[in-house]
Amino acid sequence: MRMLTKGLVAGLGLFMWSGTSVLAQELTIFWAEWDPANYLQELANEYEAQTGVKVTVETTPWADFQTKAFTEFNAQGSAYDLIVGDSQWLGAASEAGHYVDLTDFVKENDVLSKMAPATMKFYAEYPGNSGKYWSIPTEGDAVGWSYRKDWFTDPAEMANFKAKYGYDLAPPTTWAQLTDISEFFYRPDQKRYGVAIYTDNSYDALAMGFENALFSYGGELGDMATYKVDGMINSPKAVAALDAYKKLYSFAPPGWAKTFFVEDNQAITENLAAMSMNYFAFFPALINPASNPNAANTGFFANPAGPDGDQYAALGGQGISVVSYSQNKEEAMKFLKWFIQDDTQKEWAKLGGYTCSKAVLESSEFRNATPYNEAFYQTMFKVKDFWAVPEYAELLTALNQRVYPAVVGGQGTSQETLDALAADWKAIFAKYGRGN
Amino acid sequence: MATVTSYGQRLGNRVAVGMIILALIVFLAPIAWIGATAFKPRNLATTVPPTIFFAPEVSPFVKLFTKRVQLKPNEKVDYESAPWWERIVLDGGERISRTGRGEVQLSGYPSRFLNSLIVAITSTFLAVAMGTITAYGFSRFKVKGEADWLFFILSTRMLPPVVVAIPMFLMYRAVGLNDTHLGLIILYTAFNVSFAVWLMKGFIDEIPREYEEAALVDGYTRMEAFFKIVLPEAATGIAATAVFCFITAWNEYAFALIMTNRRAQTAPPFIPSQVGSGLPDWTVIASGTALFLLPVAIFTFLLRNHLLRGMSFGAIRK
Amino acid sequence: MAEVMNRLDPKSRAAARGFSDLAIRNLFVVPTVAFLIVFNIFPLIYSLGYSFTDFRASSKEAANFVGLQNYRDLLADPFIWTNFTITAKYVIVSVTGQVLVGFGLALLLNRSFPFKGLVTTLLLLPMMLSMAVVGLFWKLLYDPNFGIINYALGLGNFEWLSDPGIALYAVALTDIWMWSPFVMLLSLAGLSAVPKHLYEAASIDRAGRFYVFFRITLPLVAPILLIAIIFRTMEAFKTFDLAFVMTSQPTTELISIRLYKMAFQEWQTGKSCALAYIVLIMVLTITNIYVKYLNKAKQR
Repeated sequence: MRMLTKGLVAGLGLFMWSGTSVLAQELTIFWAEWDPANYLQELANEYEAQTGVKVTVETTPWADFQTKAFTEFNAQGSAYDLIVGDSQWLGAASEAGHYVDLTDFVKENDVLSKMAPATMKFYAEYPGNSGKYWSIPTEGDAVGWSYRKDWFTDPAEMANFKAKYGYDLAPPTTWAQLTDISEFFYRPDQKRYGVAIYTDNSYDALAMGFENALFSYGGELGDMATYKVDGMINSPKAVAALDAYKKLYSFAPPGWAKTFFVEDNQAITENLAAMSMNYFAFFPALINPASNPNAANTGFFANPAGPDGDQYAALGGQGISVVSYSQNKEEAMKFLKWFIQDDTQKEWAKLGGYTCSKAVLESSEFRNATPYNEAFYQTMFKVKDFWAVPEYAELLTALNQRVYPAVVGGQGTSQETLDALAADWKAIFAKYGRGN
Repeated sequence: MATVTSYGQRLGNRVAVGMIILALIVFLAPIAWIGATAFKPRNLATTVPPTIFFAPEVSPFVKLFTKRVQLKPNEKVDYESAPWWERIVLDGGERISRTGRGEVQLSGYPSRFLNSLIVAITSTFLAVAMGTITAYGFSRFKVKGEADWLFFILSTRMLPPVVVAIPMFLMYRAVGLNDTHLGLIILYTAFNVSFAVWLMKGFIDEIPREYEEAALVDGYTRMEAFFKIVLPEAATGIAATAVFCFITAWNEYAFALIMTNRRAQTAPPFIPSQVGSGLPDWTVIASGTALFLLPVAIFTFLLRNHLLRGMSFGAIRK
Repeated sequence: MAEVMNRLDPKSRAAARGFSDLAIRNLFVVPTVAFLIVFNIFPLIYSLGYSFTDFRASSKEAANFVGLQNYRDLLADPFIWTNFTITAKYVIVSVTGQVLVGFGLALLLNRSFPFKGLVTTLLLLPMMLSMAVVGLFWKLLYDPNFGIINYALGLGNFEWLSDPGIALYAVALTDIWMWSPFVMLLSLAGLSAVPKHLYEAASIDRAGRFYVFFRITLPLVAPILLIAIIFRTMEAFKTFDLAFVMTSQPTTELISIRLYKMAFQEWQTGKSCALAYIVLIMVLTITNIYVKYLNKAKQR
């Protein structure tokens, strides 16, 4: 018994000790669990080979990423030196002092001329147009579309389509065509459906999906400078956009009520839908014959234009920031300095990262590297994002509570839905003393 | 009359056995499905209609233990000189990620599995031990405000973990317990001890006091009576409590996610993380799940006789 | 702590050797109670304190005292009341289901048959899985396109999780599948303790099956069954992972999902603490009623 007790005490002591040991010359980057994080680890291995500084990319499932990161921030934890955080976090993380101000770093190292302008604006700058920067754009991302080339080029389908709609069946360039094609391929009796879209309302999926319609229809979430929302999120253009999104939902496969990137990719791999919206970052799985049996027959196109020719896509992607509570801030800055070099960015793209470097993006080498890189390149200059204010999550909740029942449950008119949303958002902004 | 009864009994038994078999099918079908998926080639995991017959593979387990990235189109790989397990991964359209020195990078699974074992076993032992002696104390001795104390113990389990998580995290950070095995062990012990006390009190209450009192008369000390008379009689309860505590600690998700980072992380938050690369590899999730089920299943199976022996001798209540 | 403990049962003073009974009682009871107090007091006070403020853990700004504002806002919010109604429905359906299925299984298993140990272990497998994984797989099993359930039962495109009227019951069904074994195991332990001579006496008296069940079996198993019900109710009230992973219908937004969003997505720490206290008071009340029944059942 005494031996056991001694062993236990020794064991517990060991845990305690291992819990406090910190190695010097080590950096920890926090990100979500996905392929780009593995690519970043491989890139960081090269940094270690060059400098001897060991960099570890630590990951957590996407669904828990926000929770885990902010719990750590809010307790001023030093577990992470750098974090590749979502663009919506900029407001919350910068206002609360979680991120180190990188404005001087950006100026000294001429980052503005190195990265694509849209990526600096959405991944790095907060508040909008303030000239203050908090991140270095790392993984560019936006929503694009995949489609079934074999279905689109089937002669019988093409003839039937032409007969019914009066124009040729091809990847859509407008939302009207997108809707027509979705309707055309919607055949429940054959277990084939028109289109796969985002509907999950547990975080930001539904909002990102709806934004593609909203922005291309010329609608706006609101005025990002004055926080005026009434008359914008419920404008006639926004209402038309919601109508369009609801219409698309009616051509989605059955059971399409909690869908995000996984389900939308599966719609292509499992022959469920003719077209599917998804972030570019999730397209590599679709051109991989091992994970997508239809890889050879999968094509890609950029988010189509709306009725007035506006064409924008919802932004995804992340920038890398230095955590204020890190004990290795200087080392972290050195890593960033290395990361923004052209050679590093080229290597980053080669490993599979979606670089934001202007030079690399514009190179023909990059644009021809995959079937979707060209669409990605085009889209990254036509993106808009959700609110980045610290209370963005409350705005999301309100959107989910109003828009989800409208899209999935078919409740109320689009005008009623968006009027209610405008009122909710106005109240939230009033609560935090914005605008008015 | 007698034959009729026994015929009726036999019929009743047969119906009961039939229903047990039916229950086994209903309860095990989803688990069988997970088990089958753990050995499927990736392209058969989600098909329309579902695939039931297939040639089993070990590839999901190889993938479970390694860190992988997808192959890019036209990426050059040295397939010929790769060992068999690496070929399996390459066949799946992925390559194994390597460190700067060319070593194979393991996934988080093995180290997290080990952490899960350390944390769950230690905390179960502590919770059951504390629960048993405390239940005995409440059962056999007068404690002022006993009902209130017991209710307090129960109430410690009522707050949803999402609320406790933030203050707990701050508290742990202040004392340096976050991301340590000890921290999780203490947390799970606290979480399980309320359950252990209640359950064990239910069982110990059923053991007649006369047994110990007889022992005391025979010259045993109270301690000896507890260890030699009460504990063996309470074995069923201890086994059941241990199984439940182990299951809770083994599968706990929310605190494991928030309280730990690289060092002390347990496996539950890792297993679903395979959905992160655009298309979930259900075979890997299934193999991770199946493997993670084994220790609890074995633990329970070993204790089965205790679980089933029932509360012994008879006089359930005086 | 020692002052609150009363003097001991005089009968047990017989044991004068070794530790005194008083010492043993304190040794057995005090550490656990003290441990739980220390461990729970900080989170409880922290939550209570912040529930009267507009504190946001994600913000640099200091917390302002707002009195009962959070509680007033919450109780006036129609979405919250919907969450509570959904939770009540869920708890009732899933706990009732677990008790019926679990107790039924225990009655079936309470006889000797070959491979009893193995069969019991196998039936316990569902509860050995983690909630998040169960949610993931059941979402797949329920899927109208490639799920095995619709395929095996020939249900075609039946939408388990995307039909707002059915989704909550589909989640409850998964919960029943997962946790009936818990009720089963506890009931089985209780059943096997029912003295055989009571049944023998009943069969001599030619008592009917229903009489035996309701007058002998049930009252004797009641205490342990009630403990199972108490814990299942508390857990069902807190259900989060399962529903969160499987569906996101407004009709399945349980109170703990709302709480999670408020606390960890919106970071309205003060308000979420207030909501937590409302939940705590409700669970305390319900549990208290159960415990009263439990004490009554024991005294019978």
